[in-house]
Amino acid sequence: MANYGYQGAYSTTNYGAQAGAQEGGGFMSGSQQGSQENSSKTYGQESLRPVTIKQIIDAQQPHPEAEFKIDGSDLTQISFIGQINSVTKRATNILYKLDDGTGLIEVMQWVNSDVDPDTVQPTAKEGEYLRIFGRLRSFNNKRSVTAHMIRPITDFNEVSYHLLEATAIHLYFVRGPPDSINDGGVKADPGTGMFVDSYDGAANGAMGASAKKLPAKMSAGAKTVFGLLQSAPQSNEGLHVHSIAAQLSMTSNDVFKAGDELLGEGLIYTTVDDETWAVLEY
Amino acid sequence: MSELISTPRILTPHLDSFTSRTVRLIGKVVQLRGDQATIDCSGNVTALLNRDAHLTVGHAVEIVGKVNNDLTVKVLSATDLGREGGIDFEAVNAVVDATHRYKEIFYSTD
Repeated sequence: MANYGYQGAYSTTNYGAQAGAQEGGGFMSGSQQGSQENSSKTYGQESLRPVTIKQIIDAQQPHPEAEFKIDGSDLTQISFIGQINSVTKRATNILYKLDDGTGLIEVMQWVNSDVDPDTVQPTAKEGEYLRIFGRLRSFNNKRSVTAHMIRPITDFNEVSYHLLEATAIHLYFVRGPPDSINDGGVKADPGTGMFVDSYDGAANGAMGASAKKLPAKMSAGAKTVFGLLQSAPQSNEGLHVHSIAAQLSMTSNDVFKAGDELLGEGLIYTTVDDETWAVLEY
Repeated sequence: MSELISTPRILTPHLDSFTSRTVRLIGKVVQLRGDQATIDCSGNVTALLNRDAHLTVGHAVEIVGKVNNDLTVKVLSATDLGREGGIDFEAVNAVVDATHRYKEIFYSTD
C-alpha cells in the first residue's frame, strides 16, 4: 500500500537527543548480528518482530525516549494483527483502535496529502482484521503505534499464523533457540561431532559406542555395516561389499542399501571401486 | 489508548474456567435456531446472538462474547470467516493451546 513520507519528521521527534549518533551510527557496526546487550543505539540493527498487542502494552521502557524492550530485547519495527474496534479519520492521519484478543492499541497511519483522493484505497471498517507493520511510540505516557504499512487480512489463517509466530519468537527470547533438529546428520550434534572424534570408542569393536555417533535416523543395517567397517581388520582399501555381506551374514542387497545411506551421509567413501568402502576418517 | 482488555481464545472445554469473562471462540456454525446458534469449537457451544450477528451454517465464525453461568455464550460481536473449509482449525486450536500455555503474552488472569 501507500508509503508515507514522514520518516524525517518522525526521526527528529523521537530521536532528537541522539541526532549526532544517528548520523554516523547507522552503519558503524556493519554487523548483521543483533547484539541485544548493546545498549547504544545502533540503527544498523533494525529488526522486525512479530508481537501480540499485550506484549506491546507490557513492553518496558527503561527511561523516557529509550528504546522499548520486550523479553529484554530492543524493539525496533514490530508487526502484528488486530481486529478493528474503531476508525477515526482525521485531516492528516487515520487512527485505528485494534484488538487482537490480547489487548487494545491505537495505530496511527499518516495520510499522504499528495495522493489524489480519488485513488486512495477505501478505509478499512470495524470488524475487519488488519496486518500492521510499524513502530511503537509513547506520547504523554500513552502508547501507540505509527504504522509504516497497513494491509487488510484476507485469509483468516494469517491471524493464527501470526499469533503462533509471536509465541515462537517470545519463546526464542525467553528460552533461547530451540534444540537443533538433527536433520543434517553429522553437523547438528556438537557433543559427539563425527569430525572431531576419530571413533576411538569403536576401535574396541564396541558396536554400541560407534552406533551412538551415527545420526539417529540411520537404519539398523547401516549402523551394523558402519560398525564392521570401523572394527574389522582391513587394508586402506577398506572392505568389499561381498566381504561385508559374508562377515555380517547379510544379503548383498541389504549391504548396498546400508552403503548408500552411509555414503549419502558422507560417513564412508568408495575406494578402489564402487563396491569397496572405507570409513571416512581424518 | 493502551488498555489491557483481553478476550482469551478458548474452546468449548475451557468454558468452565471462563464464566462471566469475555472470550473469543472460533468454530463452525452447526445450527441456527432464531436467536440461538450452535457452534462447534472442539465441542458444541450455544451462542445467544445479538441482532448484528449474521451467521451462516457451514461457515466458520469468530465470536467475541461473554460466558454465562450455564456455559452459553452471549455474543457481543461475530465475524464471519467464510466457508469452514478455508480455515485451518488445527492452527486455530494450536493458538488456543499457546494462549493458555504461554498466557504471559496473551491475557492477564485477574
